[in-house]
Amino acid sequence: MTSEFRGRARFFFVRFLFLLLLTSASVARAQQVPRFDVFGGFSYLRFNALSIGYPNDVNLYGWNGSVTGYIKPKFGVAIDLSGDYGSQISAYHFMLGPQYTWRRDKSNIYVHGLIGKAQNNVSIAQPTRSGFESVGRSFGGGFGYDYHWNDRISIRVFQVDVFHSTTFAKGQNDGRASVGLVYHFGHMGHRRKL
Amino acid sequence: MSFREKNPQRVATAVVLRRPRTALLIAKAGLLLLALLLAGLTACAPGTHTAYVTLPTDNAVAAFRVRNVSGAFTSIVGSPYMTGASPGPIVINPAGNYAYVANRIDNTISLFRIDSSVGSLSEVMPRTTTGLDPIAMVMNTAGTLLFVANQVSSNITVYSINSGSGALSLVAGTPVSLSPSPVALAVTPSGNFLYVANSNLGSVFAFSVASSGALQLVAGSPFASGAGALALAIDPGGKFVYVANSSADTVSILSVASNGALTQVPGSPFATGTGPVSVMVSATGVYLYIANESSNNITEYSIDTTTGFATQIIGSPLSSVTAPSLIVPDPDGNYIYVLSQTSKTITAYTITSTAAATTTTGAGALISTIQSATLSTAAGGMAISK
Repeated sequence: MTSEFRGRARFFFVRFLFLLLLTSASVARAQQVPRFDVFGGFSYLRFNALSIGYPNDVNLYGWNGSVTGYIKPKFGVAIDLSGDYGSQISAYHFMLGPQYTWRRDKSNIYVHGLIGKAQNNVSIAQPTRSGFESVGRSFGGGFGYDYHWNDRISIRVFQVDVFHSTTFAKGQNDGRASVGLVYHFGHMGHRRKL
Repeated sequence: MSFREKNPQRVATAVVLRRPRTALLIAKAGLLLLALLLAGLTACAPGTHTAYVTLPTDNAVAAFRVRNVSGAFTSIVGSPYMTGASPGPIVINPAGNYAYVANRIDNTISLFRIDSSVGSLSEVMPRTTTGLDPIAMVMNTAGTLLFVANQVSSNITVYSINSGSGALSLVAGTPVSLSPSPVALAVTPSGNFLYVANSNLGSVFAFSVASSGALQLVAGSPFASGAGALALAIDPGGKFVYVANSSADTVSILSVASNGALTQVPGSPFATGTGPVSVMVSATGVYLYIANESSNNITEYSIDTTTGFATQIIGSPLSSVTAPSLIVPDPDGNYIYVLSQTSKTITAYTITSTAAATTTTGAGALISTIQSATLSTAAGGMAISK
C-alpha cells in the first residue's frame, strides 16, 4: 500500500468521523435498540513477526472498521475489517462472525468470534519484485466496551482481539486493540429500562 | 411477602448499582488486557543470528532466523532466494550486510544484500565471473578480501571487496594456478596467510597474503597432510591448521610458523571415523570436531593449545545424523550445527561445559539437542552471521 493511499484513507476516515458527529448532534431517540452499529477507529496490532523470521515481533498501527447487524437485540453478525502498517510489514484482516452484546443504559459490552482472511505484505525490494504477499485463513475473537455518548454515537473505549492466521505457510498469533466511534442506526426495539 | 416485594425501590437501586459496577469491572479487565498487549512494546526477544544454506539442486539459498537460546531455526519470509546454477559455498562479510555465494555450474559469484531488519536476501546484479567450479570460498576477518578455490580450473582467485557496495574486483596477479583439485580454503585470523587443501596431493599449500590481496607461495609449500585432504580449519589464535584427510580417516594438526610454514605437531595425524569431510574448532580453540560422513558420527578432540596435541574426549565419537557433511559453529559458541546430505537436515548440538562433564560425557562432548531445520534438498554450504 502506498503512502498516498494511506493518506487518502486517513482523510476519508477523519471525514467519516466528522459526519458521524454532525449527524448525531441533531438526533436523539431515547432507549432504542439499533439495527446496525458502524464502527470506525484506530487500531494497534502486535504482529507476530518472529514467525516469518524477524528477530522480534513488531508493532503496527492503522485503522479498524466494522458493521454489526442485529438479528435480535443482543445478537448480531459483525463484519470486521482492519489494516495495520509498519516500516516493512502491512497486515489486513477481513473477518466475519457472531457478536453478543450486553446492553446497559450508558454502555455496551460485547464479545465476538471472527473468521476470515488475513493478508500480510512484506516490502523488501528484490531484483524482480517489490516484496512478498500472502493471504491465508484467520480466526479469532475478542471483546469490547462502548460508552454511549448519545443514542446515535458511542465511544469505543476499547476492543481487544486475538487472531490466529496462516500466512507465508506459517501459523502466527497476533493481538489487536482498537478505539474509535460507533454510529448506531436503524431501530429494532426498545432497550430494557433499568 | 418476599424482600423484593416488600422493598421494590431498594431492589431496583441495588440492580442499578450492581450493573454499572459489573460493566466497570469488565471495562477494567479489558483495559488490563490492552495493557498486556501493549506490554509487548517493551518485551525483548532473546538474541538471534541469521543462517544461510545453499541448495544446489534448487539453485537457491534458504535463509533462517536462529534463536540463541534454543538453536531453533525459523524460515525467513521470501526464502529461499534464487541464485545462479548449483550454489555451493557461501560467505557473509563481518558487517553482516552482504553475502557471497559461489555458483559452481555458472562459475560465478552472486552478491546478495542482506536486509538489516529481517535478514532476507536480495541479489545485486551482475554476477562476478570466477574460475571453473568454485568449490570453496573464504573471507579475511577484515572483510576486505575474498578468496575462491576453483577445483576444475585448479586455481585461486582473489577479489578485493568494496566496503560500501560489497562489489568484487579481481586482484592483480590472480588467479594463481595450483596443482589439480584445490578443494578447501582457510585464512588465518590475522589475514596474513592463506591455506589451500589439495585432495589429489594430500597436502596443504600455504600463501602469504599482501594487503592488496596478492598471493606469494610460502617456502616449503605444499606441506603434507594425509590422503584425500578435503577440509580445513584454523584455531582462533591462528596457531594450528587442522586438515580432514577423507581417504586416510585421519585429521592432521599442523602448527603455523611465523612465516606461514606448516609442521605436523607430535602425534599427528590423529584417527577419526570413516570419511572425515568437515572439521571445526570451537570458539575457544580448545575443542576439535570432525564430521565422518561414512561412519555417521562426529569425532571429538580436546586440544592442548600449547603443543597442539589432541586427546579424544570421553564419549567420542558421537553417533550423529546420517552422512554428516558439514559442521558450522554458532558465532556465540553455544552450539554447533551439523548438516546431513541424506536426511537434508540441520541439527544443533550443545557443547558440554567443564562443569557439566561426567564420567561418560567429557568436557567438550557434544549433546544432540534438536533438529533445527529440514531442508528441501541437500545443502551445498552454510554460513551464520555474527
